[in-house]
Amino acid sequence: MKEPAGIYVHIPFCQRKCEYCDFHSIVVNDHSQFLEVVDSYLCALKQEAHWYAHWTESYQFTTLYVGGGTPSLVPAEQLAELIAFLKALYQLPPEAEVTCEANPKTLSAAGLAVMREAGVNRISLGAQAFQDPLLRALGRVHCSADIYASVEALHRAGMANYNLDLMFGLPGQTLADWQETLERACRLNPPHLSCYSLIIEEDTPFYRAFHQGLLDLPGEDLEADMFQLTQDYLTGMGYHHYEVSNFAKPGFECAHNLHYWLNRPYVGLGSGASGKVGAKRYTNAADVQGYIASWSRNEPLLAHEEMMDKDLAMDETLICGLRLLDGVSEADFQTRFGRSLSDVYTEQIRRLEESGLVQYQAGRLKVTRRGLFLGNVVYREFLRS
Amino acid sequence: MPRKNVRNFCIIAHIDHGKSTLADRILEACGALKDRAAEGQVLDSMDLERERGITIKLKAVRMLYRAHNGEEYVLNLIDTPGHVDFSYEVSRSLAACEGALLVIDASQGVEAQTLANLYLALEHDLEIVPVINKIDLPNADPERVKRELEESVGLDASDAILVSAKTGEGIADVLQAVVERIPPPEGDPEAPLRALIFDSHYDNYRGGVAYARIMEGTVRVGDRILMMSSGRTFEVNGLAVFAPEMTAVDALYAGDVGCIMASMKDVRDTRVGDTITSADRPAREPLPGYRPAKPMVYCGLYPVINEEYTNLREALEKLQLNDAALTWEAESSAALGFGYRCGFLGLLHLEIVQERLEREFGLNLITTAPSVRYKVVLTNGTVVEVDNPSKLPDPAHIDHVEEPYVRATIMVPTEFVGAVMDLCQDRRGEFMHMEYVTPERAKLEYDMPLAEILLDFFDRLKSRTKGYASLDYEMLGYRESDVVKLDILLNGKPVDALSCIVHRSKAQARGRSLAEKLKEVIPRQQFEVPIQAAIGSRIIARETVKALRKDVLAKCYGGDISRKRKLLEKQKEGKKRMKNLGNVEVPQEAFMAILEVE
Repeated sequence: MKEPAGIYVHIPFCQRKCEYCDFHSIVVNDHSQFLEVVDSYLCALKQEAHWYAHWTESYQFTTLYVGGGTPSLVPAEQLAELIAFLKALYQLPPEAEVTCEANPKTLSAAGLAVMREAGVNRISLGAQAFQDPLLRALGRVHCSADIYASVEALHRAGMANYNLDLMFGLPGQTLADWQETLERACRLNPPHLSCYSLIIEEDTPFYRAFHQGLLDLPGEDLEADMFQLTQDYLTGMGYHHYEVSNFAKPGFECAHNLHYWLNRPYVGLGSGASGKVGAKRYTNAADVQGYIASWSRNEPLLAHEEMMDKDLAMDETLICGLRLLDGVSEADFQTRFGRSLSDVYTEQIRRLEESGLVQYQAGRLKVTRRGLFLGNVVYREFLRS
Repeated sequence: MPRKNVRNFCIIAHIDHGKSTLADRILEACGALKDRAAEGQVLDSMDLERERGITIKLKAVRMLYRAHNGEEYVLNLIDTPGHVDFSYEVSRSLAACEGALLVIDASQGVEAQTLANLYLALEHDLEIVPVINKIDLPNADPERVKRELEESVGLDASDAILVSAKTGEGIADVLQAVVERIPPPEGDPEAPLRALIFDSHYDNYRGGVAYARIMEGTVRVGDRILMMSSGRTFEVNGLAVFAPEMTAVDALYAGDVGCIMASMKDVRDTRVGDTITSADRPAREPLPGYRPAKPMVYCGLYPVINEEYTNLREALEKLQLNDAALTWEAESSAALGFGYRCGFLGLLHLEIVQERLEREFGLNLITTAPSVRYKVVLTNGTVVEVDNPSKLPDPAHIDHVEEPYVRATIMVPTEFVGAVMDLCQDRRGEFMHMEYVTPERAKLEYDMPLAEILLDFFDRLKSRTKGYASLDYEMLGYRESDVVKLDILLNGKPVDALSCIVHRSKAQARGRSLAEKLKEVIPRQQFEVPIQAAIGSRIIARETVKALRKDVLAKCYGGDISRKRKLLEKQKEGKKRMKNLGNVEVPQEAFMAILEVE
């Protein structure tokens, strides 16, 4: 049986950079210039797709995820054309999960129809918050009204499967704000919710403001309360908490992200994208023009690549797998690596069990509730080198 | 070169008044500095010196200068350290000179170290040439500075030279004044050799190198020499002057400045202040003023990883080759394992050594809080010296304790006099004297425990006076003092490396703020960690580091697992730099926390 795998495509364009975001993207203000860059970028993407198609014949691709940046900035026809191309090249089955990230401001009914036609069957909407002052502070281009309009458009286009990205731990955000965000989100009844806590990343305006003491961030205790509230509230609303930051109605878990958490292979395409093919992990240089130029010569432009040996592959399987509340299956581990989980990590597991951070349950190693909140302590333990 | 055409001089100044830049300009003007574009501050060759903008080790440079009378002169510029930690080295280099350029910042005016250095120079009968620097600054006020010089020390400042070392203005006048105002050296080249060591360094190939001023007699390559303090003899296998690169010479005569190499094993054979004489025709008396460098401040240095203990010893041995003032002996701590108790001239010296150990030898160190050396008189009459707080004997056996005192001199604009007095009083200072140097500036003198100066005194002084105060101090001796040992308990267990000795009147407050400070620097752990301060069995303060509640990477990063792993690896590295005491991970800065408490 072929190994299941995913495809990630990075669209590095934004209307403006958000204050907290360090994902790779550029802002092109002049519209005709923007269309030109998009043309050559999509062209380069196809070159790269061909390149990796050779290496991935032993995989059964089951998901495609178009992320960014702001993929919905690309004209819908061109996006549809790219998706159709990739589905054919990588022989995705018709029912494959095809997700496209979108910004509430840039989603039109017409565009949605075109994308749906091309096979997009899941939208991930960067809602983030329902309070306009918070959205402004984040530097988002949209307001809460845009979220409602977008969801309305999704329903009209028959796009039943969608996700809302939400953020907590924001500067000035209170527990009540966060509760309100969760309530308003749930009223829309989305099949999937991703709730991320804000991380202050280097080289962002937030980072600089933070170090000047200008960001009024909730402390660790409030953030922990927010996380706890997220879990309690969403579980109560019938969502399945299946990964640290992810919640889904039964059957709506994100198949693409599961590839990452199960440490499966995925091809990463586009400037700044990363992938794992065979024993190799690679990250493309975050340089749009360089990417275009390089693929015009049919050469990859990598920022980083490394070969995973078996030990590292095992470590990463644990580090990723323990993010899932379902944990890591002893049997799967044994099948995949030919060794037993408890033999490889005897000491680590003993220590974590003693601290009440992990436990065995029905043949699976899982984080406890405490271990979920202190995930980094758990993951670090499994990083052996 | 005849004696009458030689000048030996140094530059003395308060820190930041532009000594190093002036030295650069002088070298440049004499053509001793071909490529000034390089890095600036040629006399400060250690990286650390340049980064900190201070001069740690003094050196000598020989320059040729053609004066206005058409004659050529040899100018030996001897650099001096500008920090109170190194005042003995300053005094030795002054003893090697006939004159000194006294540099004063045209806007800052006379500062505490200006005075301290000036008094030292006057003690050595040096000809003083006042140089008012930074006249290019918009707020320069040379007339006020002249007034301060005249009123504070009675120095005739009418012929002070106005310069800008930055623009080069006035440098020619400085050189001409060196020739005209500073007398040539005296001393009989035929007399028995007496050479004053004013600095030394260790060279991998040559061993100990002594920088010396020949006061009397002559030294030649091949001579047998005698170190008068240790009685050890060596054969001279190299003599050199610095121009500014090392240039070999056959002989050095009375009045000359140069360096002497004699296959000496390390710098301990070339103690600053010692007299070199001829082994075959020794001088009757050494030059006055030799004293072995004496540490004032002690602290424990421990490797974070116990296995690095041997590396630390090797590194200390290597550093000591180059630093005769550094002392160390093995010790052990229940909390930190094996390490060394090291003695330093002062806090700056401590920081420099610590940084060099970490930078040049790649060591990861824990430095325990600096301590002075206490004299403990036991009830049975014996006296023990204690420089490690955890070694303080049981109070039941102590008759009394004495601690070192200094005389602190503080210069400050009059508007801050009240603030400075409050601070000194708070630090157990005894007011001795105050005078107005000018209507705007006052000089305060306090007798204070050295231990109080170590506790961040200088930074506090600066912050209370908007940076205007300057400080100098000299040792007075020991005085009886009512001190107690303050212990810190983490998770209920005492941590010996966190103990400190404090005055009884301060114990309560220090204990409380130390516990608060530790709460800030010790990160949350998986479990709640109580921090307690105790005197004997009495708990005087308690704080709690709350348990970690949430620590988990949130984002998906587009599946970029390498990036997540890197983040975790970085966190793991950070953990390694912490010391695990019991179950508590304690960062390095915790051990220095006592320095930052109010």
